[in-house]
Amino acid sequence: MIQVKVKVYRFNPENDQQKPRFETYTVEADPKDKVLDLLHRIKWEQDGTLAFRRSCAHGICGSCAMKINGANMLACEANLKNFKDPTNIIVEPLQSLPIIKDLVVDLKDFFKKYEIVKPYLINKTPPPTKERFQSPEDRQLIDEATWCIQCASCSTSCPSNWKNPNFLGPAALLKSYRYNFDSRDEGTAERIHVLDTNDGVWRCHTIFNCVEACPKDINITWHISQLKKKLVSREY
Amino acid sequence: MRYVKHYGTWGYILHRLSGLALTGYILIHIYLVSGLHNRPAWQSEMEIFRHPLLVVLEWCLFSVVVYHALNGLRIFIIDYFNGARYQKQLLSAVLVLSVILFAAMGAVMFI
Ligand code: SF4
Ligand code: FES
Repeated sequence: MIQVKVKVYRFNPENDQQKPRFETYTVEADPKDKVLDLLHRIKWEQDGTLAFRRSCAHGICGSCAMKINGANMLACEANLKNFKDPTNIIVEPLQSLPIIKDLVVDLKDFFKKYEIVKPYLINKTPPPTKERFQSPEDRQLIDEATWCIQCASCSTSCPSNWKNPNFLGPAALLKSYRYNFDSRDEGTAERIHVLDTNDGVWRCHTIFNCVEACPKDINITWHISQLKKKLVSREY
Repeated sequence: MRYVKHYGTWGYILHRLSGLALTGYILIHIYLVSGLHNRPAWQSEMEIFRHPLLVVLEWCLFSVVVYHALNGLRIFIIDYFNGARYQKQLLSAVLVLSVILFAAMGAVMFI
């Protein structure tokens, strides 16, 4: 067992007497514990007012994304023994989104950007009696893009997004790829105009913070580059 | 609110800084040569630039040009080919090549 000093960002916008601050808790932990285990122990045993999101605790739901020791990741996958110094952990909310309380951020804007890229199949031909057929090769083309669990780690790690909150951001652009490169989809003409703007793909400056942050190891920048290529190779 | 800087992040930061430096240089350069309308004026100005300190600065300017150009190529490979899959190796190649070219230019200039 080790003693871990956990510095947690605390802020409650409803209580305007208190400014954002860090509170430090000392927690006994196994080196194999996840940061989420530490947060649980703090909330259950030391300070019930601490707020954070989590659901599955197994890297599936995407609700526990936060900034841990300066980098975005899932708290439920952040293994203590993978940190240089597992006895000093700093936990902050995802950067650049409004804070609802402590580690809980407002994801309204994040999901609004999904709506903008029309993340659903657009196909005007009447569906066949069975499913719309897709070859294994065509499925492969969108495979990596379907791994996304919408945790928002990528978009909130992106300097272009911090600077310009209107930028669609890596998560929405990845989703845009997922449908625009789906062989069953016919909606590219409707979707492409929002990509071809200052706030679309062209604000991606290939910084690769999103790729580093993604807990599902998706190379988001590669997918954005494919969208860029699609835009510049359009024929009129 | 600080965020960890990964390898690729540094590539970006260096690209932006070198871009700013080049913009600054080109403005100064245009300003300095814009008034030189005849050969003696040009030659006396060039005399100033033979000062060893300014020659070393010129050498440094070369490193900025080389990094910005090579990383520009890297970004092109990322955006138009599959470079996003091996951006770190590409960045290493850019840095190594920059150092080699910088040293080679040093040899040409000072030896
Ligand atoms: S692409 Fe990765 S980091 Fe971005 S929302 Fe999806 S799972 Fe999270
Ligand atoms: S709690 Fe579901 S991904 Fe971490």
